[in-house]
Amino acid sequence: MLILLLAYAAAAAVCLAGHRRVDRSAFPLSTLPHVATFAWLAAVAPGVLDGTPLVASIGWVPELGLSVDLRLDGFGLLMGLLVSGIGALVTTYSSGYFGPSADRARIAGLLGVFAAAMLGLVWADGLLTLFVFWELTSVASFLLIGTDDRSTTARAAALRALLVTGAGGLSLLAGLVLLGIAGGTSTISGLIAADPTGGVVPVALVLVLVGTATKSAQFPFQFWLPGAMAAPTPVSAYLHSATMVKAGIVVVARLAPTFADVGVWRPVIVVCGLGSVLLGGIRSMRQQDAKLALAHGTVSQLGLIMILVGLGTPATTFAGVAVLLAHALFKASWFLSVGVVDHATGTRDLRRVRGVRRLGVVATAIVLAAASMAAIPPTLGFVTKEGALEAFIEGGAGWTGTVALVGVVLGSVLTVAYTLRLAVGLLGDHSVGEDAVDPDHLHRPGATLVAPPVLLAALGLVLGLAAGPTGAWLARVATSLDPASGEGALYLWHGLTPALGLSAVALTVGTALWWTTRSATATADAPRSSFTVAYDRGYEGVLSAARRITGVTQSGSLPLYLGIVLLTVAGAAAAAIVTNRSWFDLSAVPVANSGLELVACVATALGAGAVVVARQRFGAALALGGCGYLLAVVFLLQGAPDLAITQFLVETVTIAVFLLVLARLPQRFSSAPDWAPLGVRLAVSAVVGLTVAGFALQASTARTEPSVARDYVERSEPEAGGRNVVNVIIVDFRGFDTLGEITVLALAGGGVVNLVAAARREQRRKHLLDGTDVEDLSGRAPEVWR
Amino acid sequence: MNARPTVTRSTILSLTVSGLTPVLVLVAVFVTFRGHNAPGGGFAGGLIVGIVLVLRYLTDGTDAVRRLPVDPIVVIGVGLLLAVATGAVPLLFGSSFLESAIWKVDVPLIGSVKVVSSAVFDLGVFVLVSGVVAAILVALVEADDEARRGETGEPGDPGAPGDADRTEVDR
Repeated sequence: MLILLLAYAAAAAVCLAGHRRVDRSAFPLSTLPHVATFAWLAAVAPGVLDGTPLVASIGWVPELGLSVDLRLDGFGLLMGLLVSGIGALVTTYSSGYFGPSADRARIAGLLGVFAAAMLGLVWADGLLTLFVFWELTSVASFLLIGTDDRSTTARAAALRALLVTGAGGLSLLAGLVLLGIAGGTSTISGLIAADPTGGVVPVALVLVLVGTATKSAQFPFQFWLPGAMAAPTPVSAYLHSATMVKAGIVVVARLAPTFADVGVWRPVIVVCGLGSVLLGGIRSMRQQDAKLALAHGTVSQLGLIMILVGLGTPATTFAGVAVLLAHALFKASWFLSVGVVDHATGTRDLRRVRGVRRLGVVATAIVLAAASMAAIPPTLGFVTKEGALEAFIEGGAGWTGTVALVGVVLGSVLTVAYTLRLAVGLLGDHSVGEDAVDPDHLHRPGATLVAPPVLLAALGLVLGLAAGPTGAWLARVATSLDPASGEGALYLWHGLTPALGLSAVALTVGTALWWTTRSATATADAPRSSFTVAYDRGYEGVLSAARRITGVTQSGSLPLYLGIVLLTVAGAAAAAIVTNRSWFDLSAVPVANSGLELVACVATALGAGAVVVARQRFGAALALGGCGYLLAVVFLLQGAPDLAITQFLVETVTIAVFLLVLARLPQRFSSAPDWAPLGVRLAVSAVVGLTVAGFALQASTARTEPSVARDYVERSEPEAGGRNVVNVIIVDFRGFDTLGEITVLALAGGGVVNLVAAARREQRRKHLLDGTDVEDLSGRAPEVWR
Repeated sequence: MNARPTVTRSTILSLTVSGLTPVLVLVAVFVTFRGHNAPGGGFAGGLIVGIVLVLRYLTDGTDAVRRLPVDPIVVIGVGLLLAVATGAVPLLFGSSFLESAIWKVDVPLIGSVKVVSSAVFDLGVFVLVSGVVAAILVALVEADDEARRGETGEPGDPGAPGDADRTEVDR
């Protein structure tokens, strides 16, 4: 398993790093891991379906008990087959879809990264492993939605998807951690075995459900998915219909059989699911862009699957798995077909598209996928929808099951209506737009474009016709979620049952609904989703609040900043002095150990005084440097040569830097700001100086434990092989500290370089814009000192 | 002071400093390794390299600083990598992060030499500090140079603006 994930990663790395060089071969290359995975899964399938999951685990941070735990069970097998199978078709399709101008290698690489993350997600057993892969898919999705990074809409949509799914991911993490603690385990299988109850479990489950709802675009978080259609069509087909949006369902499916009986679970599932089913269905009716109509349809379909797997009875679990397979097949086929239409006619607008019927097999694929989506016999869509209705009728989930049944029938009516509208809109030649496509000038799609959607649609038909074996196979898959769901079966015809009646009602009413609304929805423009509006308002609100807070706290006055920082330091030091009861004995502090030391100290004090009274920046800098050198002398006299050397060198470099910076500033200090007259400044200085000095004195007497110095000196030579204990402390005993410090230093260096570069860029820009003299601009710098 | 006097360069000083540069850098390396048993160390060594750079700037002007053989940012990265790698290598042998090892090596003519792994860590510190000082110096010197050109109204040499652009993009 790990090898396969690494194969994806390797192929993705080649694509991303090689960029232009692998341009042409990027998609063929990224097809390979898909094929390998599919073949491997097919090979291990019999064993896995017989109930012996494959397990892989590698230590990650063993000290913390963290490991990457993978577990391939029946459900993981089905999802893996979908991810790799549809993945292979999508990459094949992409090699024909993307022209040489597009950034093919990047897309191929990101698709590979996504596929690896998605496989990791569906195979994850460790709770944290699941979360990490979960977030990886979010990031990959973000990058893929934003493929067209010059489009504001695409960037906004990518960000919205990332924020919604990212926030949901945090909620999921919190929920998983709580569950893990409650169950005393770090794996999903362990959690299911432990079956924790009471306490925080309901809260944790709601958190998990919120996370899954964001990822699977469930009400009220469904609004990001239509926006995600800004991604190229193959990406939408793969991530945003067939695989990634199933991630939430995967998690719900694994937890539902165990936790569905916890009070809050089923109501939350049914509200979210039905909200999605109905809202998605209604919204889909009003879209003119075929892809957007499909996206809203996906929200609706995902709602259905969410309810099925979420109710957690053996029958619904089985039906959920079946619908999941059917949906992945027909929805991916739909998206890829719409991509072909777009490729051939140059538009996806239902008002403009014409001549699709001349594309032959593609039109057939659309018809088949539509039949499956609308649940028309004998497709897999019909067979599985029947199974779902059966499961609802069978009951076992209490009142929520009944509510769900009514909602799902309503949803089916809508599904039939929007499917008919979409199929007729695409295939019909009754275009109403003025700028309709000329059906005689179609861009003929190649075989790589046509084959994948046709294959997927045909598979939906074949599996539907072979309902018996398909059902038996899916039942073995479902046993890995709930051992009792192994009795599930699918029938193409199982007599005159209530389920068949409901299907017939849905078909009839749906067709009627489409017929009556068809003129009303033919031209209407889709209104903006109120959810998107609410999200955008909230987002803007956060940004403007941040701006306001920044405006209040960041006045841009350096004296004010300095004053606040210094007073805070003084306050903290004063608090420490007051709370520490052992008062220092001033008489015990020696004035000076030697005459030379006294001289050095007095000279340092004089230098400090010179800094304060200096009127010129240059003089102040030099006096400050003098203080530093004198301090080095004091260090040396106190027997700290290492410190003295470093202080001496630092001072030298500092002066050089000062000189370079001062050359850009006015010669003299600007006068102090009005709010800080001399008295205030003197008071602040005195308070800060006295507290810091007092703190230093007290710190030297506040020792409660014996010094570690002796211990270090003794261990220095034998353990670290060095006689200079100061250096040994830096590079060995406290090496970790040093590592942290040099990292900060490296970042600070980079920061200075970037700040200077940014300032230069700004100056050059202004210089170019209004022809202002550069000197004028540097003359403006003292504003900062106000 | 803003109207800067024309820079006069002393050829003797310039030659002396450029001749001494390799020696001074060697001193810096010496100080770094000496640090294990006597005052010195990576921080001090790195700062010495920085001071050498300041000296070169004072004697030879901006060209000496702008025409460094390597990008200081890269030097910073190498230093950090060296330090982290020294810390990480013991992990491969089942020891803990940053655990130091001591080897006795017999070198012909010199005799037995003690090699300590933490010296490599200190070398990383040395390289990093050199890089940081150099990076800050180069940034400031280039900015100063540009401001000066703008001030005197000279167009500067034709290659320079493009050159400056490149460094900005690179960082």
